[in-house]
Amino acid sequence: MTNCKWQMADEVVVEERMTNDMQVPEAIEQVLLDEEVIAARVRELAAQISADYAGAEDLVLIGVLKGAFIFLADLARRLTVPHRVDFIALSSYNRDAVSTGAVRLIMDTRASITGRHVLIIEDIVDTGYTLDYLLRTLRARQLASLRACVLLSKPERRRVEVLIDYLGFEIPDVWVVGYGLDYADRFRTLPYIGMLKRETYE
Amino acid sequence: MGLRDDVAKVLIPEDVLQARVAELGRAINATYTDDDRPLLVCVLKGAFMFLADLTRHLEMRHEVDFMEISSYGAATRSSGVVRILLDLEQNVEGRHVLIVEDIIDSGRTLDYITRNLQTRGPVSLRVCTLLSKPSRREIDVPLDFVGFEVPDEFVVGYGLDFVEEYRNLPFIGVLKEKVYESMTNDQ
Repeated sequence: MTNCKWQMADEVVVEERMTNDMQVPEAIEQVLLDEEVIAARVRELAAQISADYAGAEDLVLIGVLKGAFIFLADLARRLTVPHRVDFIALSSYNRDAVSTGAVRLIMDTRASITGRHVLIIEDIVDTGYTLDYLLRTLRARQLASLRACVLLSKPERRRVEVLIDYLGFEIPDVWVVGYGLDYADRFRTLPYIGMLKRETYE
Repeated sequence: MGLRDDVAKVLIPEDVLQARVAELGRAINATYTDDDRPLLVCVLKGAFMFLADLTRHLEMRHEVDFMEISSYGAATRSSGVVRILLDLEQNVEGRHVLIVEDIIDSGRTLDYITRNLQTRGPVSLRVCTLLSKPSRREIDVPLDFVGFEVPDEFVVGYGLDFVEEYRNLPFIGVLKEKVYESMTNDQ
């Protein structure tokens, strides 16, 4: 396999998915980021990542389940650099572990990532504990490089400083759902990012 | 020279693919209600892109869960038995389950997964696959929603890989023979 760049042909234009006639659920206060806004930002992130990793061998995107699967699916299609895709699944131990961010790796990457350029794909960074823990864990694997690409960040909630190399949007401290993000497993696949009504989660 | 140059032809262009995914979404919308709260079971890695697009068309309340499997090798191929690397987070007992797959080939893996999930007592169990290769079928597995029937060619893109490459092509293409002829075709 060559690692030459490949170009997505201009004629292959991703049809923008419209919110069409899909109704916004009652529990959603408002649409925070609609499909077009997200798609445009994902395109920008993909262009930036493609430029930064041009010529880089062995790029692997690691999607953090479950939340990142939609973001990853859209982002990967926009990349013009060759890359592999892998997944990890995490579970938090309990509330006591929240201050260290220690998480249980339920499923590790399928292939070894040692020596590779690794880009973690996350849906949201809140306190930062989980991403910080993940970065520290993966860094120990002697990678060529390690960066994080995150769709949403809530800076107000940050408890530990964590470097996000590629960020989609900064958002206020509200409960958001859709585009991979859930509330008790609901609303995860809404094609937009919506703000949950406060009475729904309180 | 690039990944696209390894593709002999585009079998299903992106617009046709997306239109069909939307149709499948409508068919699934007509099958379940909010009260059914179906659990969509995605078999990684191949189906994640299809799942991401399909679920955005769904209108009823639903949940998604993931399963990652790995083959034990040639010895168990005929039984379809696979090693479950990541099991479902959710208990499927009493649930309506919809398995989401990228491609059904021999049908043996799907048959095993179906039998495995049946033992867990779901209320219903259906299968939605983007692609099906009927000419390769070795075991009869009922498919409830099928995107496209494809000929027995080496297809890549939209989640389907060849040694981990080509997954992110936004269309379904047929790989050039010279790309895979030196490797074992275990698709």
